Amino acid sequence: MPPTEPPLSEPPLSDGGPGATLPWSGDPLLDAKFSVPAAPRAHVPRRRLLGRLGDGANGPLTLITGPAGAGKTTLAAAWTRDGAPPGAVAWLTLDAHDAAPGVFWSYVVEALRRALTRLPGGVTVPACPGGVGTSLLTRLAAATERLPGPVVLVLDGFEKVAGRRVPAGLEFLLDHCGPLLRLVVTSRVDPLLPLHRYRAGDRMTEIRGADLAFTPHEAAVLLRRHDLTPGDDAVRALTQRTEGWAAGLRLCALAMRRTGDPAGFTRSFTASEQAVSDYLLAEVLDARPTAVQELLLRSSVLDRLHPDLVNALTGRRDAEAVLARLTRENAFVEPVPGTAWCRIHPLFAEVLRTRLRIRHPGLVPRLHARAARWLAGAGRVTEALEHAAEAGDWQYGASEAVHRLLVGAVLAAPQAERVERAFSRMPASVPGADAALVAAACRLARHDRAGCRERLAVAERHLRGNGGKGGGGEDGGHGENGAAPDPEAALTHALLRLLCEPQTEGRPAQETARAVSDLMQRIPPECIRAHPEIEALRLHGLARALLGSGRLAEARRLCGEAAGVRATEATLPVRHMSLGLLALAESAEGDLTAAEDHALRSLVIADQHGITADHRSGAAYLAWAEAAFERDDPGVAHRRLEQALACRDVDEDPVLATEAAVLRSRLELVGGRREEALTALCRPGGSDEPWPTQRIALARSAVALARGEHRAAVAALHGTPAGGPAPLVALARAHFAAGRAARAVRLLDRAEDSPHLGLPDRVGIQLLRAHAALLAGDRATAQCLLGRALDTARPERLRRPFAEAGPWLRHLLEGAGGTAAAQARDTWLTAHGGRDLPGPVQPLSNRERDVLLCVQKMMSTDEIADELTLSVNTVKTHLRSVYRKLCVSRRRDAVERGRELHIL
Amino acid sequence: MRYEFRVTGSVSLLLAETFPDLVAEPLPRQTRFFGTVTDEAHLYGILARFQDLGLRVEEMRRLPE
Repeated sequence: MPPTEPPLSEPPLSDGGPGATLPWSGDPLLDAKFSVPAAPRAHVPRRRLLGRLGDGANGPLTLITGPAGAGKTTLAAAWTRDGAPPGAVAWLTLDAHDAAPGVFWSYVVEALRRALTRLPGGVTVPACPGGVGTSLLTRLAAATERLPGPVVLVLDGFEKVAGRRVPAGLEFLLDHCGPLLRLVVTSRVDPLLPLHRYRAGDRMTEIRGADLAFTPHEAAVLLRRHDLTPGDDAVRALTQRTEGWAAGLRLCALAMRRTGDPAGFTRSFTASEQAVSDYLLAEVLDARPTAVQELLLRSSVLDRLHPDLVNALTGRRDAEAVLARLTRENAFVEPVPGTAWCRIHPLFAEVLRTRLRIRHPGLVPRLHARAARWLAGAGRVTEALEHAAEAGDWQYGASEAVHRLLVGAVLAAPQAERVERAFSRMPASVPGADAALVAAACRLARHDRAGCRERLAVAERHLRGNGGKGGGGEDGGHGENGAAPDPEAALTHALLRLLCEPQTEGRPAQETARAVSDLMQRIPPECIRAHPEIEALRLHGLARALLGSGRLAEARRLCGEAAGVRATEATLPVRHMSLGLLALAESAEGDLTAAEDHALRSLVIADQHGITADHRSGAAYLAWAEAAFERDDPGVAHRRLEQALACRDVDEDPVLATEAAVLRSRLELVGGRREEALTALCRPGGSDEPWPTQRIALARSAVALARGEHRAAVAALHGTPAGGPAPLVALARAHFAAGRAARAVRLLDRAEDSPHLGLPDRVGIQLLRAHAALLAGDRATAQCLLGRALDTARPERLRRPFAEAGPWLRHLLEGAGGTAAAQARDTWLTAHGGRDLPGPVQPLSNRERDVLLCVQKMMSTDEIADELTLSVNTVKTHLRSVYRKLCVSRRRDAVERGRELHIL
Repeated sequence: MRYEFRVTGSVSLLLAETFPDLVAEPLPRQTRFFGTVTDEAHLYGILARFQDLGLRVEEMRRLPE
């Protein structure tokens, strides 16, 4: 492990301990996700299936698949309640918003945590997905190794998290978890897991649609529980007609009870050619009193029903009683356990919505608008905004978003995408400052800075107009104008401006940042406390501006502060960005170890919180690439640069775009492609921020020097802004190459006086001096200076300046090689050992290395076990620790990382 | 792309309305839905909706343009 202490104190997230979990909001709807659903009334216990589930839970995976209403959830819930599961049960009900891997796995961790606190001698599940270093999945797999007893994890409704990434993670967990974790998955469709492999290995129990189908005997029990006793023939006919479909049989029971003529119903139903669900839905729905039908129709615009919300939509007062009755009958709605909420059975929801559209076409937007207001009042802002968008009520939605300070959440929170999607259809013509501000935030979230600025200008015009004489929006920041109408709008405006405006000099950014601070004072403190991401974004924006003006030390300090803001779901993305920016500033100053550390942490946060590609910052990859380049590993630098370029902000943010261009140019130069090195620096438009301008100038000068054009090398540096010692060193280099050694040394003297001298420049100065001494015939001094340069560069293994120095260096090094001590001093210069890359924290054991070698040969776990004459479980244990040590979660990544670290 | 789907049983007008992008046509003991499908996502969305509504897809094929 590199000895350097990272300058940033460990964020509170990875402190471990019980308090380190994400703050689960105590939202009852969230709690409901972790509760086992209650049994429906007239539940039929199905011994044959419970038995199979019990057997299945002795193995790693039980899969329950079947169509909607087949009774998958009911079966799994019944088994966890009465089927004597082998250990604690962690239940997780999934819904469509959980498909991001970060969200999904944080729920899994939470579900396990809740289950395990009920276990004696509990186990510490990785406290929070934000802990950094090893990936969550490997730590989760490792944690399952130490379970005190069997734990059953039920994932209910797995089809809702379709896509590849969540199933891929689950596959990893299944392959590497300890023997005591049992998984029960219910899904409407076969999950994207290697089911054939599990079948062949006898590692999975399947309960499929045909198994779930009710037998005539079970159907008879079901009907009896509804106080119906039809004859055997009737039962058989119904079972046949519904093909044992549980929901269908339940609907039959309701319809039969209603008609009071079970035999008649059976006859007409079995004779009908209509689709089963269609026939029964109409039968049950149309038999309801008009008022109930109306209630259901109006409620169908909702995902989840709360009695008060339904009252608000229908203008009634008795929604609670009606819903309770419907729930009891298990007809249309099912309760959300432990809450007053319920949801319409998916089988009905779509039909009801269609009816509503046909019967009351004009009512739909009005219902959405009403729902939006109720939900906003209940503090469920994201859902409120979605309904406002459905209603096309943009002004209300925008105003809510601004006044509830959602700007930060749009830019950062996991809900960002939901909010962004909700507003994506908002036309530009919606008037008012709020709409313009929301549009600006959405554009910035997509890294469209120009679009954001354009909308901000519109917002500013409105704010000025509304603010009246004081011009509240613009000047609100000075805090004098107490009459400014809307501190929230002014704050949103100032924050967005801070984040999107390129800085021509440092001052305006600091003023804007101060304005943000002042405006934050004018907002109720509890609101500000609920939105720590605002402060994090403010610090990040200021840091970014200072970096743009070349004040790296201050930028680094602020990045650290931004990353240290209290961890919530909304601040983690900011932490991801800030750590990346911090790493970038560090790599530019030659603090390579710290840069790699922070880059890695930035990327781990992005991975573990499912920050999507669109919202990812490439700063960390860029920093990593630069660090690799400075350590003379162009291959890695190249790969990381490509990864950086895949991120949107590397295109949009002038600082990042410049760093990418400069690195590309330097890489081309190393490859001897001078023309390409020059074209890499020609960016259309460009930026007028001082630091990127200077970085481009320095790179141009370096290219010119490589082409032997001294005058161009000097000219490229002419008038570079941002000052600092770097241009002086570059100038010295040019003059030195042109044979003006004395002038070069004078420039170096000036540069060395600067307190802002970065490590690469410091080493560069020492090398230039050494070269000058050598040319002056003073070999002893040259050697002494070279020794000093080596000492300076060694802690960070900064090899690039030596690689670029030219052939004189090699002669001098070989000359110095007389003593063993001197040799030992510079072996790091040529050795490309693994020690200089981040991790592995611990070296691999020989066995682990053997296993990794087998993995490289694409061998399966079983084959590896044969090859090394180990048990499969031992191989898995080794694999797990390989993953943990290499900070990866997949075989391919392990091999790749192994190669990078020269283990393979 | 144009597709057709055949589901078991006849389907009421109302239920057919839940597929505004498809035309429904009654057949003996079946209902045929057909229409333009934008892309794969749309196709899977339609299949999921059939499943949501408890309709059983017996047959599905791409129609010649």
